[in-house]
Amino acid sequence: MAVLHAWRAARVTPLGELYAPPRMTAALIRLTVQVILVASLWNGLYQQTGTTAGIDREQAVTYAVMAVLASRLRELDQYAGRDTVLQHMHFGTIVYWYLRPLAPQRYYALRALGEQLYGFAWALAGFVLSLAAGVVQPPGSAAVAGVFALSLLLGQLVLYYVMLVIDQFCFWTLRNGAAMLILIFAQNLLSGVYAPLWFFPDWFITLSSFLPFQATLSVPLSLYVGRIPLSDAAFQLSVQAGWVLVLALFTRFLWRRAALRIVSQGG
Amino acid sequence: MSGSIEVRGLSRTFHTTVRRPGFTGALRSLVQPERVAKDAVSDITFDVAPGELLALLGPNGAGKSTTIKMLTGILTPTAGEARVAGVVPYLERERNARNIGAVFGQRTQLWWDLPVRESFSILRDIYEIPKPEHTVRLQEFDDLLELSTFWDTRVRHLSLGQRVRCDLAAALLHDPPVVFLDEPTIGMDVVVKEQVREFLRHQVEERGRTVLLTTHDMTEVERLAERVVLVNHGRLVLDGTLDEIKKRFGSTWQVRAPLADPHAEAVALPGIALLRREGPKVVFGPDGPDAPAVHQALKRVIERYEVTDIALEEADLEDVMRAAYVQAEAPESRGGG
Repeated sequence: MAVLHAWRAARVTPLGELYAPPRMTAALIRLTVQVILVASLWNGLYQQTGTTAGIDREQAVTYAVMAVLASRLRELDQYAGRDTVLQHMHFGTIVYWYLRPLAPQRYYALRALGEQLYGFAWALAGFVLSLAAGVVQPPGSAAVAGVFALSLLLGQLVLYYVMLVIDQFCFWTLRNGAAMLILIFAQNLLSGVYAPLWFFPDWFITLSSFLPFQATLSVPLSLYVGRIPLSDAAFQLSVQAGWVLVLALFTRFLWRRAALRIVSQGG
Repeated sequence: MSGSIEVRGLSRTFHTTVRRPGFTGALRSLVQPERVAKDAVSDITFDVAPGELLALLGPNGAGKSTTIKMLTGILTPTAGEARVAGVVPYLERERNARNIGAVFGQRTQLWWDLPVRESFSILRDIYEIPKPEHTVRLQEFDDLLELSTFWDTRVRHLSLGQRVRCDLAAALLHDPPVVFLDEPTIGMDVVVKEQVREFLRHQVEERGRTVLLTTHDMTEVERLAERVVLVNHGRLVLDGTLDEIKKRFGSTWQVRAPLADPHAEAVALPGIALLRREGPKVVFGPDGPDAPAVHQALKRVIERYEVTDIALEEADLEDVMRAAYVQAEAPESRGGG
């Protein structure tokens, strides 16, 4: 199995970042500023009230800060490293993905794994520091921590497949800039990065339940802060797993169609 | 190492949407798109023997790259079949990938943000190359292409010549018996071009690799290829040696002779055409398939005319290919890929 031997492909993003210290510095500054601002905002919002929408100030701040950290798990930068489907389609180098004894879908998965593990290292460091500084609260119990970890993993799988669908658009449209902008906005809004979903009207929550976005971050973070009780965890986890299955099948179908759509470039 | 290429009646048709001109036309195309079929490659048949370097030539849009993409397994042919090192490339992509290496012009397969050696390591893993073998091969490529002076540099900081040399090494790291090179030296300076040619010659003569090369650089063809396949409008026009091509399409020589009497009348000789007159100077060239060899032509001109001087110019391959492209124009226009 070439995929087991090709693990080094997972190192592309972390290595690329390590070779570009300015990018890492920028990421550090951005994350720090975001965490401070978000913590200040939610502390301010809760100054005059004890509990709103079923959560108190500490829960709200913990949720908001962890949403910022978790959104760092998969950097939505389409241009770093020049190894995205978009860029390969643009430069005509996508052909090399089909010239190696490693299927493009496996290579893509390895690259994404490396990217997400790299992002996880950032998020974990941010979480530990925020925990030490008292900005976020520890999980309510070991069971909550365990369910949260599992839910976060499933959420990241859902996010991986959503990103993959957007990337696969490039095989048909060559560019996916507009789709990516919509995705970033929808992802941040519907997954609860901008604000927890329970602050939105009922119709909005109902609508978003038909989309995969809340399975990426809102569910794991709600489990962490206790907004979703452990008794509901099994249902939520099964919904997440359902999204993973549906999207996995859909993207598998798209990979097959994409292989027939490699655009011939040049004479 | 068995690296033969067999191509039988290979064809590829692309279906594209015709964009009508103007605003109304664009709107009509949107509402009622008109689909047309374009034959990029039509019924091409040829073989490449193991250890042979074949130049696949043709003007832009002739179908060279489309042919290479079918042989590398990227594209599936509409008709016909191909075998590369015994494998049908478009049916067994991953198996075929182990038998072939490819470089597509200036398109790099290296990882932009990483030092070149990291790219080589990733490829080593992907192709499952044993480490000692990888080290030996890298050393060999370094000896031939002088890679070690820049292989710790990130790809984004390499010059074009450095990058293409690295790409060549990357394409051959897994020791493929067959190599496809689509305009590998495009845009490179003469020194690097010569280094790359030397590298390719070494790979063919010493390593026995089969190479299918497309290029517009006729010096490259003359220095590397003995056999040439010429395609135009997706069809195979000629499959033969360089000498055969020169004989068929080349006005391969021109004799220039100033006449002693500048007003003397000059006429064509058997097998020798009078191409033009430049004052007292007359220019002769071969006339048809019965044209004499150069030395005989010189003799006939000197015997027939009193000349004060005589000069011989042999047309270079570029002229020959230009003539071949023009003569090979098909009556109907077809698209290329």
